[in-house]
Amino acid sequence: MKKQSNKDLRILLLGLDNAGKTTILKKLASEDINHITPTQGFNIKTVQSSGFRLNVWDIGGQRKIRPYWRNYFENTDVLIYVIDSADRKRFDETGEQLGDLLDEDKLAGIPVLVFANKQDLLSAASASEIAENLNLHKIRDRKWQIQACSATTGEGISVCNKINPVNRILLMSIDWRFTSCCVYGGKNVGQLIIRESMICISEYSYLGLDLIS
Amino acid sequence: MKSIYRWLTGTCELQRICKSCNETGDRTTAVEKSLGTSKTESLRKITTSLGINVNDAVQHIAVVKKINHESSINSEFICSLSKCLVQICTYSQLKDHVETIRSTTYDSNNKQHETMLMKLWDLLCPDNQLEQRISPQWTEIGFQGSNPETDFRGMGLLGLEQLVYFTENYTQVARKILSHSHHPTYGYSMAIVGIHLTNMAYSLLVSNALKPHFYYSNVSATLDEFHKVYCYLIVEFDSFWRSEKPENILIFNEIKEKFRLKTLQKLKTLRVLRSFELM
Repeated sequence: MKKQSNKDLRILLLGLDNAGKTTILKKLASEDINHITPTQGFNIKTVQSSGFRLNVWDIGGQRKIRPYWRNYFENTDVLIYVIDSADRKRFDETGEQLGDLLDEDKLAGIPVLVFANKQDLLSAASASEIAENLNLHKIRDRKWQIQACSATTGEGISVCNKINPVNRILLMSIDWRFTSCCVYGGKNVGQLIIRESMICISEYSYLGLDLIS
Repeated sequence: MKSIYRWLTGTCELQRICKSCNETGDRTTAVEKSLGTSKTESLRKITTSLGINVNDAVQHIAVVKKINHESSINSEFICSLSKCLVQICTYSQLKDHVETIRSTTYDSNNKQHETMLMKLWDLLCPDNQLEQRISPQWTEIGFQGSNPETDFRGMGLLGLEQLVYFTENYTQVARKILSHSHHPTYGYSMAIVGIHLTNMAYSLLVSNALKPHFYYSNVSATLDEFHKVYCYLIVEFDSFWRSEKPENILIFNEIKEKFRLKTLQKLKTLRVLRSFELM
């Protein structure tokens, strides 16, 4: 497998069908979201930020396509898991699916960011309700965060928000790279990455995310 | 340049176009280009505005170009200019009409929408009754899950209307394609692919790439004819997909793009999209 450059991050966007993955992808890439169709296969977009290239892979969520998700696990830096917060009937299904993903060897330790999408709908469950439902608090083997959002309005997704999701993803990736490099490549490699990311970290330290420890 | 020609021949560009172009498509294309680049704003507007009365527009052009439209010498020109304008205006109206349908969201509380959806099932699977409205059976005809409602998305009612049009008018072909879509290796989700092809037909229309199809054929740009373009796409895509021998569904976007480019090429060279299967 081609070695990725330190500036290239691989982000995997998964979730059930109709969760809003493609809309989030397009929103992150500042593209029009009016003509979206159900994803057959996958979509990929590259988002540039703070000198990093986030290669975001959005794979179809239809049951038939889910067995192929594993083809995309390799070298993932952050897993983004999208949930339709208004589709309460499928909370069990989406919880099981997420549980299966977290059990995958190839995704071991990889940080997960859960997007509690469709917050614009009246019937949407809150982020904390979803976190409870999915037992996110029981996750011990990786860092995780949950973000309430609405891909259609841009709330929680648009980069102009106070908490920019791209920075959040970036910080989670860098933290993961640092941790895994310290384990596999020694402290020096980890420090190299830290130095590269220094500017970005200081720029966004206001987020108060204590990621580098 | 135009003014030199005008002085030399005593005719305006539109008259020269109508005289020299024998083929309707060439004529309409050239007239549209000429009007679109005119110095007079009211002439440019004819090509872009909606709800234009062709007779009024022709009269207006004649006045601006100082052509006596009542004189018998010019009757041939007036007649062929009218034909061009009809083609240009119908295309704009079609775009508007299609946009209205596309922007209508599928609504399960709307009886008409629901009836249409059930019709699709009955036409495709006459021997297999749908047990209930929310049912995993919908995946058999290629929806993603138990409720097709969420699959129409950005294509709105247009996606459903075209699937129904196709299965209603070419029922046997549609059932054959459904059986192809169940192939163990080259299978795909028929309804979802259908919605993707609605998106393709829609984009071709909006980007004006479909103009040659309507300008060079004898058919006028009606909604019915637009749906026929969709039928063409679904039939041709099905055979293209199998001929590409895809490893699995994951390369769908790649093959769809190849197919789109091939269709664009056809619109450039053959201009009119026709499928033998649908004749």
